[in-house]
Amino acid sequence: MELPQLDPTSKQNPPDEPELDLYTIPSHSSWFSWDEIHATEEVSLKDFFDGSSITRTPKIYKEYRDFIINKYREEPSRRLTFTEVRKSLVGDVCLLHKVFLFLEKWGLINFAAPSTGGETLVVGDEERYKVKIEGVPTGIRVVAMPNSIKPISALPSVGDSGGAVDNGFKLPTLASYSDVFADLMTRKGLVCGNCNEICDSGHYKCMKGDLLICVKCFKNGNYGESKSVDDYKFNDCLQNSSNVGAVWTEAETLLLLESVLKHGDDWELVAQNVQTKSKIDCIAKLIEMPLGEIILSSAQRKVTSSELIGNLNNSKQVQLSTSESLETDKIGDQHDEQRNESEHNGDAENRGPPLKRQRIASAPGDGGSLMKQVALISTVVSPHITAAAAEAAVASLCEENSCPREIFDGEDDYVTNGLLSPTENCETKRVLEDPEMKERHSQSGDEDSCFKKDDIPLTLRVRAAVATALGAAAARAKFLADQEDREIEHLLAIIIGTQMKKLHCKIKHFEDLEMIMKKKHAEMEEVEDFLISERICVLQRAMSAGIPRWRDHSYVKS
Amino acid sequence: MKGQTSALSKSTAVKFRIPTAENLVPIRLDIEVDGQRFKDAFTWNPSDPDSEIVVFAKRTVKDMKLPPVFVTHIASSIQSQLADFRSFEGQDMYAGEKIVPIKLDLRVNHTLVKDQFLWDLNNFENDPEEFARTFCRDLAIDDPEVGPAIAFAIREQLYEIAIQSVASARESRISKKGRRGAEHAIVSKAGGTAMDLVKLFGHKSSVVRKRKEWDVYEPIVDLLSNEEVDALEAREERNGR
Repeated sequence: MELPQLDPTSKQNPPDEPELDLYTIPSHSSWFSWDEIHATEEVSLKDFFDGSSITRTPKIYKEYRDFIINKYREEPSRRLTFTEVRKSLVGDVCLLHKVFLFLEKWGLINFAAPSTGGETLVVGDEERYKVKIEGVPTGIRVVAMPNSIKPISALPSVGDSGGAVDNGFKLPTLASYSDVFADLMTRKGLVCGNCNEICDSGHYKCMKGDLLICVKCFKNGNYGESKSVDDYKFNDCLQNSSNVGAVWTEAETLLLLESVLKHGDDWELVAQNVQTKSKIDCIAKLIEMPLGEIILSSAQRKVTSSELIGNLNNSKQVQLSTSESLETDKIGDQHDEQRNESEHNGDAENRGPPLKRQRIASAPGDGGSLMKQVALISTVVSPHITAAAAEAAVASLCEENSCPREIFDGEDDYVTNGLLSPTENCETKRVLEDPEMKERHSQSGDEDSCFKKDDIPLTLRVRAAVATALGAAAARAKFLADQEDREIEHLLAIIIGTQMKKLHCKIKHFEDLEMIMKKKHAEMEEVEDFLISERICVLQRAMSAGIPRWRDHSYVKS
Repeated sequence: MKGQTSALSKSTAVKFRIPTAENLVPIRLDIEVDGQRFKDAFTWNPSDPDSEIVVFAKRTVKDMKLPPVFVTHIASSIQSQLADFRSFEGQDMYAGEKIVPIKLDLRVNHTLVKDQFLWDLNNFENDPEEFARTFCRDLAIDDPEVGPAIAFAIREQLYEIAIQSVASARESRISKKGRRGAEHAIVSKAGGTAMDLVKLFGHKSSVVRKRKEWDVYEPIVDLLSNEEVDALEAREERNGR
């Protein structure tokens, strides 16, 4: 019996397309085809294929199988029982039962039906595939069902760069998960040896071989054959990815941009989508790219400034630590591209893909922009602080890039101008008129006026601006923190004073009480003395009267 | 098991046994002593030592609170039925393909079961107990006695057919001396009940039954009321006499 792999093209044109119904079968049964008998069936039901009997032939098996499946599909929500089926089929009931159990085991029948108490079918929810089928068993098509299309387009990562560009890419018919994503799985090498899922959180590595298993399998105790807990060593993916993270391929960058557009600042999700990079890497990359903030804001996510700044600071560090040459190369490349764009297209045309949007045109208009948040904060700081920050930023940049200090001089003029001007500008212009923005304006002015300052790498200017803004913001934060500290100290002092007063009151109260007690005590003693003297008096009188009761009296006395 | 099965079905003759996975002999007891009647049905593994029989009989009598006189009756009944079975052992059974219809018509307590299906005598993996379990589960039969009763009924019929086929195998051996290729005629004749396999499974026919036949092969399960059970029992009593 010849059993080729399922060939999608052969089922491409079913006669009555509109009348097709969709049936769900588990993806592990995607081998199933009406037209053929798969090797799985051959192995599981040897009786039909060893030619031992006229009553057990492949043809008869196919008839059994097709009938049972069709019978089930007459009413997929209902559980089909063997007893219902066997009355309609000629043949040995036990053999029929075997076929029935086989189909049930593979989810070809009773998959959507509620399972009865005892039996549990193994169902991979996330891997469901729909089967398009006509009423008669002539053609079959497996397509990803609607809700599985969604993750596929959300994770264009899984495909390669080609897939990422075209959102609506199509799977070949009858493709299974492993068909489509197999290359990815092997390339990454972080695929669970047990469940074949990609281990994005972390994995256990077997010391005895190359087997990897994911955390989930490890917890469930699926160690694989002849392996035990001790053979496994936990590997966190974060470590790996930090190694991998330094180099960004073009596909990954595209992917990152796309996921940022989709998820905004939800870095967990973004990192998940990019898959090959960690959260930190993603953020760093986005910051590295000159367009990061615009993309962020175009995703229409309002973010609290503090959060953003936190992220930014982190990423900044990471960014600074990455190798210098790589960074400048990358940014330089992208920036050149960007600049060309902005030169060629006017301000009006920024409808292109996110990567090509013009920074200068859109940056001032976007309210939620990350840079603007920083800028706003940095405006609050007094000018000399900002100046110092700018100075420091330029200095460190120069040192880092080992380029002459002079290239910033022109800019510094602008900066200082901007710094000194706020007093005059604040009524007429918007608060946005901060050094950073000033710088930008100066840049755009530069570009417009035939690139007067073209000798300064744009990258450096942008970075200087960013660094300045951040420095200013940091200074402002420090100032605020100090203020808060003082406030807290003051309040604490008040609290302590009040407590002291309270204690004093209490002590006084106790002293009063003591006084009263002493008085009482004195009174009591007086009473006692008086009583004793009276008694003695009585006794003396009694003695003088001659009453002989010594003992008693002495008793009383003692 | 697989290999054995195919080997068996290829060879023309099979040594006598119950044609199921487990070679269990159906034993039916119906003993009446001093007006007291004891009926029971169960399967017995013929390879168990015969000393077990008396132990079993004693235990049964004790459990069922029967008079001790039953012990010998039960033991001897089992012994004789096992002896019958063993008398066929070692002989050749039917040759070739054989699929027979099994008919069920039994009442267990309040449950009435009627059913008909085909059974492959050459498939030694067949398991009546498994079939009965599935039957009860599918039809939601709660009474735990029904399943074993169904399995027992199947075994009884298989036993019967196996005995018949020993005779037919003997015939075919004789006739083979005369002419070759007589096997098919013998097979279709054997037992009289075997299905015409070529007609059923040949290339021209479909193994899906015609709709009008579905009712014949459909199991019917009835739950009887107390009165109906009483009436039925009374009738059976009358018929018995």
